[in-house]
Amino acid sequence: MKQRLELKLNGEMCEVFVEPWRTLAEVLRDELGLLGTKVSCGTGDCGACNVLLEGKVVSSCLVLAPQAQGREILTIEGLATPEGLHPLQEAFIEHFAVQCGYCIPGMIITAKACLDENPDATEDEVRLAMSGNLCRCTGYVKVTEAIMAAKEKMKKSVSRTGYGKGR
Amino acid sequence: MAEYRVLGKSVTRLDALEKVTGKARFCSDMSLPGMLYAKILRSPYAHARILSINTSKAERLPGVRVVLTGKDVLEKRYGLFVFDQYILAKDVVRYAGEGVAALAADSLDIAEKAIELIEVKYEELLAIFDPEEAFKQNPAAVVHPDLLSYQLGLFLTPQPVAERPNVAHHYKIRHGDVEQGFKEADLVLEGRFSLARIHHIEAEPHTWIAQRQPDGGITVWVGQQGIHLLKQYYTGIFGIPPSKIKVVAPSNVGGSFGGKVGLTADPIVISLALKTDRPVKYSFTREEMFKCGGTRIPAVIYIKDGVKKDGTLVAREMRLLFNIGAYSSLGILGVRNSNFGTMGSYRTPNLKVDSYGIYTNTPSALAFRGFGSNEVTWAIESHMDMLAEKLGIDPAQIRMKNFLKEGEPNPQGEIVHSIGAEECLKEVTKTVEWGKTPVKAEGLWRKGRGLAVANKYSMAPTAAVALVRILEDGSIELRHSADEVGQGAKTVLSQIAAEEFGLSIDRVRIVAADTDATPYFPASSSSRTTFQLGKTIYLACQDAKKQLFELAAPRLGVPPEDLETADGEVYIKSSPACSIRVKELFIVERPTSPQAFGAFLEQGGEIVGRGVWNQPFVYENLKTGEIDPEAARKGLRAASFYSYAAQVTELAVNVETGEVKIEKVATAGDMGFPVNPKMCQQQMEGALGMGIGIALWEEMIMDEGRVLNPNLRDYLVTTFQDMPANQNVTLLMAPVPHKDNPYGAKGIAEVLVPPIAPSIANAIYDAVGVRITDLPITREKILKALKEKKR
Repeated sequence: MKQRLELKLNGEMCEVFVEPWRTLAEVLRDELGLLGTKVSCGTGDCGACNVLLEGKVVSSCLVLAPQAQGREILTIEGLATPEGLHPLQEAFIEHFAVQCGYCIPGMIITAKACLDENPDATEDEVRLAMSGNLCRCTGYVKVTEAIMAAKEKMKKSVSRTGYGKGR
Repeated sequence: MAEYRVLGKSVTRLDALEKVTGKARFCSDMSLPGMLYAKILRSPYAHARILSINTSKAERLPGVRVVLTGKDVLEKRYGLFVFDQYILAKDVVRYAGEGVAALAADSLDIAEKAIELIEVKYEELLAIFDPEEAFKQNPAAVVHPDLLSYQLGLFLTPQPVAERPNVAHHYKIRHGDVEQGFKEADLVLEGRFSLARIHHIEAEPHTWIAQRQPDGGITVWVGQQGIHLLKQYYTGIFGIPPSKIKVVAPSNVGGSFGGKVGLTADPIVISLALKTDRPVKYSFTREEMFKCGGTRIPAVIYIKDGVKKDGTLVAREMRLLFNIGAYSSLGILGVRNSNFGTMGSYRTPNLKVDSYGIYTNTPSALAFRGFGSNEVTWAIESHMDMLAEKLGIDPAQIRMKNFLKEGEPNPQGEIVHSIGAEECLKEVTKTVEWGKTPVKAEGLWRKGRGLAVANKYSMAPTAAVALVRILEDGSIELRHSADEVGQGAKTVLSQIAAEEFGLSIDRVRIVAADTDATPYFPASSSSRTTFQLGKTIYLACQDAKKQLFELAAPRLGVPPEDLETADGEVYIKSSPACSIRVKELFIVERPTSPQAFGAFLEQGGEIVGRGVWNQPFVYENLKTGEIDPEAARKGLRAASFYSYAAQVTELAVNVETGEVKIEKVATAGDMGFPVNPKMCQQQMEGALGMGIGIALWEEMIMDEGRVLNPNLRDYLVTTFQDMPANQNVTLLMAPVPHKDNPYGAKGIAEVLVPPIAPSIANAIYDAVGVRITDLPITREKILKALKEKKR
């Protein structure tokens, strides 16, 4: 019943055998031990499980694992490099954007896609892009502040570290 | 104010790094070898008799290890205040979502399949949903016909009302003579207010892993709050000695807001685990969180106020009808808490409050951020504006006129201390230039602004214990049982220890909450952690430092009193250059004996400082709600402390669609002392996001006791786009120190929510002249009111 699934996960090829009805979130968490991706609603309404599939935001609780066959996936675990944290991660720490933290991996992933696509995003554009990510702790104030601050950092660092489109 | 190194500074949160890298672990991330997965079959009916349950097909499914129904669980009922609930329903179900059968299987797939194979036959019974209907002397249905024979819990002495069979608890205040007060008043105004059933929407669904131990005990890992409370609850329910129960909270819990205090599925999960040697994991689905993960108590509130022409409040009478659901759970506490909300802000010479907890065939309530204060503040703060308008007084002025002052008795008789109501209101009104008439827009979007003030008491009595160990490198290890639900307890409490030892915060290590390793603390509930545990950690640090100085004194040749410590060194206060490093006090290496490698202190082995604080308090008289005047004079209080908040909201209302846009807010909070100002702001912003949703759209839509919107698509919460732009959010600190905390600090988490809804309602009235008294203030309600106003 299990099928071979090959993924380019956080920059590395990996192989896993899973039933075809498993969601990507289940495979990441239960088969591959990447517990940073959280499942909060299970119906694609909250954004906590967001990952990047070929650079696009998807709710991994709604994506069936075979849909990711041979494709590139970025999870929160793949964001930092040996050189250090991603500017979004740094900004979320510096600007106190984190409280209980359960929604944060999905927030950071969505914010990355938003800024990759629109490196000059305004606050309104950030709020629109992020509006599918629900958080009950923060009121989004410091999260928005952190994303706006990371935007500036990313613009400065894009040539040096290669952050930006399609990690 | 004292000069601090670490306190009062916005130190980076200790949990931020692990949370932004995906490394933070929650109970829902845990698994154990051989773990089974549980599912619970829940009643589709709000009130029904169980005619038969057939579990044979489920039992035969390969991989199913344990199946339980009502006949397999403990015979007796349990509860927190009223013992009104069986672990799984026996004979009768009382709400849609009540557990009827439970099972544990090798995988979640098998468990899900098996649960569908259980056949239950029901006979529907007449159900009751409306709290006012249920409150009647002869209600159409009685939720617990045998209520008066039920055993009562240890706390709060629930007071059922014999002639009203659905009332689980009646709490009252009788202060002065309200009838006389109304006679003396120049204006008497009455109103009715109500609040919807809402849900906490914690990001992490409640999770448990329970494992039976060979000695007959049990270990439970919980994604919940209050490990020591839970241990006592589990002991009480299952009769397992406390010495054989271990409750562990992984270092992070994904949100609570009150929804993870108390019991929900715990007894079911433990019952399953007691039947197998394998650990059993259970997580609520999002749908189950709505149906059986606890809600805020929906309420109907009647208020009658008598005021003098100048706005002086002379009498207030309130009747609070709380719809606590099918089982009393923590609802009883909400009934009590609400009364403190009526007493914390205003001088009220004559106050009469009757607060009722009423059973209905609906999901049970739990605590909710602002527990009890949300409900009464919604009514009182709306009503204060209505009174002000009738008297032609400014809304800020009528409040200023009636605020309690430091040192005077509140209606309960408690001597008021650390009251920041006035400071909060002054801060927000100054910031927004209240009193200057804002420009009124014409056209579709009409602008308005409104204010509100709130208090939240923290429950007494509480006690806390904390331990501080000095490690061989001069670092500090903290052992306490605070819950980290996102509010930042880890960071704030570590700041306190760092301050006392003159260390940077990265030299403080925290032992994760575990009843085997961390000492007593009830729970990080009732906004108590910074106040209560903060003090206890301070005391533990003093104790540890005393021991440290006694040890170092002979080495430095001075008495211990002359010593102080900072940066991992003990030094002489008068000549700081004379010092010894803490690590030098430890014996680590003994070259002759490699097997004796390891650090210890020659005298005493190690330094463990202990802090204990059992807060003095006095119980109120249950007939009047008042406390003994003699005890009050001695400084005893019925509340632990009160914190305060005020908010001004500026908004625009679309007169054609009823849509409300929150444009600008100013919030002030009285937290006594902001130990970490940015983290105080976090609380304010989070409360704002939550409060706007509560005011404008949050509601569990109920039909015949069933939740129609148990998901995050149909239950609306505030999103990024619903918030005002960052530059329009002003957060103000109005700290009024409390003498019982060494730094003056109080809690702030809860009080910030209650003023938001009434400030929005008052602003809507200011904008379009309609007064909505039923939360949430949906577009439909605004449009309907606008139409009626035109007529």
